[in-house]
Amino acid sequence: MAKLKKAVKLKVFTCKTRQPTGSQIRECMDCGQFMSLLRVYEENSNGMLKIEELCIDDDLELAKRYDISRVPTILFLDDNGREMIRYLASPQAGEIQPFIQTVFAFAGAGNYYEATIKQNIDRIPPSTIKVMITNMCPYCPQVVSVANLFALAGNGKIRTVIVDIMANQDIGQYYDAAGVPYTVINEKPAISGMVGPNEILKALMGGNIRVQY
Amino acid sequence: MTDLDPDKIWDFIILGGGPTAIGCAIYAARFGLDILVIGKTYGGLIATTHIVENYPGITSVSGTEFVEMFRDHMDSLSIPYISDEIKNIEKAKDHFILYTFFQRFKTRTICIATGSERRKLGIPGEEEFAGRGVSYCATCDGPFYKDKVVAVIGGSDSAAKEALFLSQHAKKVYIIYRGEEIRAEPINKKRVYETDNIEIIYKTNITSIKGDGNVKSVIFDNGHEFKVDGVFIEIGSNPASEIVKDIGVKLNQKKEIIINRKSETNIPGIYAAGDVADAPFKQAITGVSEGVIAAYSAFDYLKKFNIEY
Repeated sequence: MAKLKKAVKLKVFTCKTRQPTGSQIRECMDCGQFMSLLRVYEENSNGMLKIEELCIDDDLELAKRYDISRVPTILFLDDNGREMIRYLASPQAGEIQPFIQTVFAFAGAGNYYEATIKQNIDRIPPSTIKVMITNMCPYCPQVVSVANLFALAGNGKIRTVIVDIMANQDIGQYYDAAGVPYTVINEKPAISGMVGPNEILKALMGGNIRVQY
Repeated sequence: MTDLDPDKIWDFIILGGGPTAIGCAIYAARFGLDILVIGKTYGGLIATTHIVENYPGITSVSGTEFVEMFRDHMDSLSIPYISDEIKNIEKAKDHFILYTFFQRFKTRTICIATGSERRKLGIPGEEEFAGRGVSYCATCDGPFYKDKVVAVIGGSDSAAKEALFLSQHAKKVYIIYRGEEIRAEPINKKRVYETDNIEIIYKTNITSIKGDGNVKSVIFDNGHEFKVDGVFIEIGSNPASEIVKDIGVKLNQKKEIIINRKSETNIPGIYAAGDVADAPFKQAITGVSEGVIAAYSAFDYLKKFNIEY
């Protein structure tokens, strides 16, 4: 993390309950483990990664402003405060790698898809890619990685929402998802199973990709 | 993942993301070749394997953990990997040009290690209920079927392993197979027979999948409707050799790439290995072996370009 090209600040919404002793514990099962991991990254980043943990009960107005109704929620916001990536998940196991890759790309590391996204940006409407995952799914990290890189290359036109549907079962049920990865682009019929970057870009544009080689 | 110069000529580009491609890449990197790996699925089909127990030196490891070990090994050698797919390969004077959906690459040599793609049944309901009860990956979707009834379609070793994994989650697992005896490795066949909540229905095909939002039943070829909550399709795979057809790489009748003992194809500078090639027995370890040989053959071939390594 010390190699980040620029400083990164992530907002992580959790919720805590106060114990009779006055100490606070996190309510969501996965938050503690994931926050410990984030703190390790933060401590080893030479100040390049800043994790801002926000308890939704401490500031309901703030939670409302960022439309937070679930914990944990992790937000990647651009310099203008515009949301690019939202995690309704605590990345663990195979999901850690794409999460770290996203942090580096967010800080300006090379993004393989950027040139093509920019060439086609006029054909992409403001879009949301929802990727439903579980932490056990072997294909999910690749779809998450691509979707997040698309969001970072999309100059505000593409937003990604990563949803752990074991932790957010109501969302999985809402979309009739009984398998992962399960990708919903602009609320159109889902793409089930492994989906490649070309298929995601075609779905975003509703047509073939134009590439100037 | 990084920005890549489309005019750079690489020594060796490896197409694929499974053990074959990774084994090939590791050896090529250690030979000092300037390499790039382009794959659709990191880890390939083995990523979806519940447990790998037949790779020497590793008694037992899950497919996902095995892929993480591959990734660590690749990262330790700083081997670049990008997720993209090849649209076309062209031959230039002393190199090849690869066109992907996102960029163009030039390379002196290529290893095709694109593996295979899962076969589909091609029956009504299969596409309609994909992700909503129809699955091709028990590791991905098994946990959604806790205490439910599922069917595994197929009689191969992979089908047996899928059934064994699902038996840990589902209340009941039916293996539905058209043959008279499942073709699993003896060790897995024994495990299937000894697992109380797995039952095999022989000499049966399914003709359609029915449901209402999600899968509710399958229809057998005798017309009987059989209630299940999920259908896991494991009926083998086809070689992913489509990308080489225009450049003239020779295929056999099964559309596998024909290679020799040096993993050479009929086109100098193009090698193939693993499930996409014409070996009779396809395993991760045999694919790795062919991939490693391809790396050495490419290294040997590149000597004619007087590149210093």
